[in-house]
Amino acid sequence: MNHRPFEDWLLNDMPISPEQKRELDSHLRTCSYCAALLETGKALSSVKMVSPAAGFTARFQARLAARKIAERQRRFWGAILFVAGGLAILLWVVGPYLASFFASPATWISALVGWGVFLITTLQAMVQAGSVLLNIVPDFFSPFAWMILLSALAGISLLWSVSIWRFVRVGRGR
Amino acid sequence: MNDELAWVLQAQQGNDEAFTKLVEEHQTHVYNLCYRMLGEPEAAEDAAQESFLRAYQNLHRYDQNRPFVTWLLSITAHYCIDRLRRRKLPVFSIDEENDDGTTFEIADAASPDPEAEAVKREDRERLHVLLKGLDETDRAAVIMRYWYDFSEIEIAESLSLTVSAVKSRLHRSRRALAGMWQEETPRTRTERRPHESPAF
Repeated sequence: MNHRPFEDWLLNDMPISPEQKRELDSHLRTCSYCAALLETGKALSSVKMVSPAAGFTARFQARLAARKIAERQRRFWGAILFVAGGLAILLWVVGPYLASFFASPATWISALVGWGVFLITTLQAMVQAGSVLLNIVPDFFSPFAWMILLSALAGISLLWSVSIWRFVRVGRGR
Repeated sequence: MNDELAWVLQAQQGNDEAFTKLVEEHQTHVYNLCYRMLGEPEAAEDAAQESFLRAYQNLHRYDQNRPFVTWLLSITAHYCIDRLRRRKLPVFSIDEENDDGTTFEIADAASPDPEAEAVKREDRERLHVLLKGLDETDRAAVIMRYWYDFSEIEIAESLSLTVSAVKSRLHRSRRALAGMWQEETPRTRTERRPHESPAF
């Protein structure tokens, strides 16, 4: 059976003329689906609110208080765990050096100087490697290839940013 | 500044008394949405309490340009949808309504015709049962539209949907409800109640 336009009138609660109303009434006598659409529409327009049992607010206050206590305990134990974990890691890292720390001042001063020299030489090596790369790499690609590469990177960054922004700000139309 | 906004601002400053006033003010809105979504008074009570707790925890995120009730019902709807998705509720205990003293439909004192009111009540109860046949998000959209008179834009904002998705979901839900209603309607009743269109 063809429900148009009756289904549209009923679904959208459209105002209809007396002539259209006669047509609708005639259709409703033969179409149980549109009749059900009308009846559910009427039921939906007469819906009522239900209230919770008395004392809802008091029960909420009790639950809020219990949740606050649980949260406080969770934070306390979280902090304890965090500090204990941090101390354990610190001991694990520092442990091997503790023996030398308690050795003579000359020993740990020489170890400190050794570390300093290691750090400085590593930094110098990295700077030199970087400058060599900067001198060599540009010659491998033509300016045109660089332009394409940089444009592609910019495009991907833009796409990524827009995707994140849309995901966070706009509701997903499901 | 209205009372509600004042309470919100005070609650944002950490005033629990002010938040309690908001709970007092909106408990029926939140509970009704939970009850219509979940179908059971016990689950609705628990969900309503949890929704208020979530609102309390996220109060700093509330945008004052938006009605507080819309924001609150959005939290409630999302919570109920998540809850329904986590576990499918077994059956609706509609018979328990008003019998166990936990759920009260707000009576229409102005109703002059008890028989018509009884028929309406019967239809509302049928509708309540049929709601469980809808997808969780569709159910939330229907409840917000017909129980709370939310516009399609408000529903879209509350359920993180587009306006066109809301329209399509509302139409789909109305068709589904009509289909279920049609299947369950006894023939005698159709004959007893001729289909006029007083809505127009």
